[in-house]
Amino acid sequence: MNVGVAASIAFWIMAIIAVVSALAVIVTRDIFRAALFLILAFLTVAGLFITLSADFVAAVQVLVYGGAISILLIFAVLLTRDVQKGNPSNRMLKPAVFLGALFAATLIVVITNSTWKLSGDSPPQGTTAAIGDALVNSYVLPFEIASVLLLAAMIGAIVVARGRDE
Amino acid sequence: MPIRDYYLLSPEISLASIAMAVILLDTVVKRKGLLAIFTLAALALPLAFTISLWGEEGRAFGGLLIVDQFSIFFKFLFLGVTAAVVIASQDSVTNFKRFQGEFYALLLLATSGLMLMSSTGELITIFLALELSTLSAIALVTFFKTDQAVEAGIKYLVLSGISSAMMLYGMALVFGVSGSTRLEEIAQAVGTTRLLDNPALLMGMLLMVAGFGFKISSVPFQMWVPDVYQGAPTSVAAYLSVASKAGGFAVILRVFYVAFAGVSMEWSMLFAVLAVVSMTFGNLIAMFQSNIKRLLAYSTIAHAGYMMVGLAAVAARNPIGEGLGTQGLLFYLTGYAFTNLGAFFVVIAVAQKLKGESIDDFAGLAKRSPLLAGLLALCLISLTGLPPTVGFWAKLYLFSGAVQADLVWLAVAGVLNSAISAYYYLRVVKAMYMSPAASDERLTPSPAISLALLVTTGGVLFFGFAPSYLLDFAVRAARGFPG
Amino acid sequence: MTGEYFTDYTAVLVATIAGAVMVLSGFLAAMVVSPRARSAMKDIPYECGVVPFPGRGWTQTHIRYYLFAILFLVFDVEAVFLFPWAVIFLGPEVASAVFYEMLVFMGILFFGLIYAWKKGVLEWR
Repeated sequence: MNVGVAASIAFWIMAIIAVVSALAVIVTRDIFRAALFLILAFLTVAGLFITLSADFVAAVQVLVYGGAISILLIFAVLLTRDVQKGNPSNRMLKPAVFLGALFAATLIVVITNSTWKLSGDSPPQGTTAAIGDALVNSYVLPFEIASVLLLAAMIGAIVVARGRDE
Repeated sequence: MPIRDYYLLSPEISLASIAMAVILLDTVVKRKGLLAIFTLAALALPLAFTISLWGEEGRAFGGLLIVDQFSIFFKFLFLGVTAAVVIASQDSVTNFKRFQGEFYALLLLATSGLMLMSSTGELITIFLALELSTLSAIALVTFFKTDQAVEAGIKYLVLSGISSAMMLYGMALVFGVSGSTRLEEIAQAVGTTRLLDNPALLMGMLLMVAGFGFKISSVPFQMWVPDVYQGAPTSVAAYLSVASKAGGFAVILRVFYVAFAGVSMEWSMLFAVLAVVSMTFGNLIAMFQSNIKRLLAYSTIAHAGYMMVGLAAVAARNPIGEGLGTQGLLFYLTGYAFTNLGAFFVVIAVAQKLKGESIDDFAGLAKRSPLLAGLLALCLISLTGLPPTVGFWAKLYLFSGAVQADLVWLAVAGVLNSAISAYYYLRVVKAMYMSPAASDERLTPSPAISLALLVTTGGVLFFGFAPSYLLDFAVRAARGFPG
Repeated sequence: MTGEYFTDYTAVLVATIAGAVMVLSGFLAAMVVSPRARSAMKDIPYECGVVPFPGRGWTQTHIRYYLFAILFLVFDVEAVFLFPWAVIFLGPEVASAVFYEMLVFMGILFFGLIYAWKKGVLEWR
């Protein structure tokens, strides 16, 4: 079988899994299961990145989202006081569904009716070196800002998570 | 990287370094009162760098950092606001056993984010700088960890997360259309395309407005403002209402006047509509507030509306680089900074003694502390836009910019709204001067807050009588923008 | 040329499918083969043979564990940045600035780690 065809089949299968598990996140009543579905969505998105020739982003997706963010999510569930009450829907459900559908429909119309600037080049073999090059040459400034941002996040988290008496 | 690149970045580098130094100092010194003094003294360093950069024009880090008069104007503004907020926070921060240094450090980190926002011409950098300021601000809002503060922090976190996500999506769409994240290259790719011919561009722009609209607290991205201002430490609310807002406007000016300059006529109307909706919404709801911080919160939404009059005016003018829009907006932002900080600082001074923030607590303030009442009255008059205050000149320049750009109806809407706002501002003045006081006990503000008040209200009066100094500064900053 | 790229990832795909099949077939086999006899005693959770603790089985975790997760996330992101940097660093003709850029990046994060340490975040109480 042609590799390209196989890749697009893989893309669509994983895309469907990603969307279905994302839906399951909001439909499932049990918060813990919802978190697990979200992790499944993260991992299938990593698969999508691979089929789109973005292998470094896929690795980042697995490392950061599949690893660290998942841990954060599960810790957040453990920290929640009334987990058993689950994830009940409220009277905002219908307006929310309506607005969400409207937003999705608008985006689909927009994306299909726009002229995109497409690169004529074929995707690079292994994107890591190209990203590394961009990181240390043309994007040094955001790279360093990212470290300050992470520092601010660390300080902020420690301050917010301190005991009330302190 | 040549040394010059780091010289151009020196205000931000020194500011972030001071933030780390404050934390280090906090772990060493016993007398925590020194922290505020150290922060304040150390702010002289980025200020000195910024002063030495004034007059320079340059690019650094592969064009990602843009240093021009426009960005330096904003750096002065942010540094000034930060210094004032450090002074005003000093009393409440010393109540903590631990984590005093963190307050100042987070404040400085937020400011360095804002400074970067004002001087970059690339979307990824804009996003990271914006997140740096927002993330630090979230921790500051939650700092006191009262129930209200935690609720405010969660609201700020969730809503800023949503707006950041929308903005990022918008940036991705713009990148998809233009093939670049650099504003100048986007401008070349976009050219003068009609927006409706390429809906992704329109959608991307709208989503980015959502992200920036959150920062400047414009309707319909204003829901967080009242609760966050009420729950946050008052000095942090003051900081958000002034510095965060100015940062948002700096980015909007840069992004829209550089990247989307070719389609400016089409989104001038967008900002004009948002302006009218914001000011009307803010003013109408503010009339029904009984808490002074909530009143100032709705007032800040209204003022975001006035400021967007300036945005619409710059967009409508032709050719780019002339007209009162940009300089009017810069003048307004500075004047508003003096005025609103002053108003918030009086609230701090009163709340320190009375433990209350309702308008009733201000009843009879004129008898208990004629000075505080007078200063608050001055600030409220300036917020209304009456002479002899800086607020009067700010509105005058801004609205005449709108008239000059053939947006007479927008100027009329602004003037009508100012008239509405007079009702609730003067209601507070009336409570202070006409209503009887709950007790005759005198109120004397603490030394720190008195100093902060002196600086801010002094500015309100000084630039009220001599606006030309500030205006010259704003004109120089606006000239040659976008550079 | 894309063929080679995708062949590399076929192994990942095969491993993923094989893993899913193994787990699912285990469940399926248990469903088909095992005898079923339900009783109230059998439905209680197994805790090494002891009767489980009465009441809610859910306890709220202390917030300090969340800080570990945050720190892990921060240094995970750092590792992610380290990876493309290392690929570049080993290449020919690297400017010395590349080294110092990473040093600054890691220095700032290291400062954060020391700070967290100082504040007692890393103590397992």
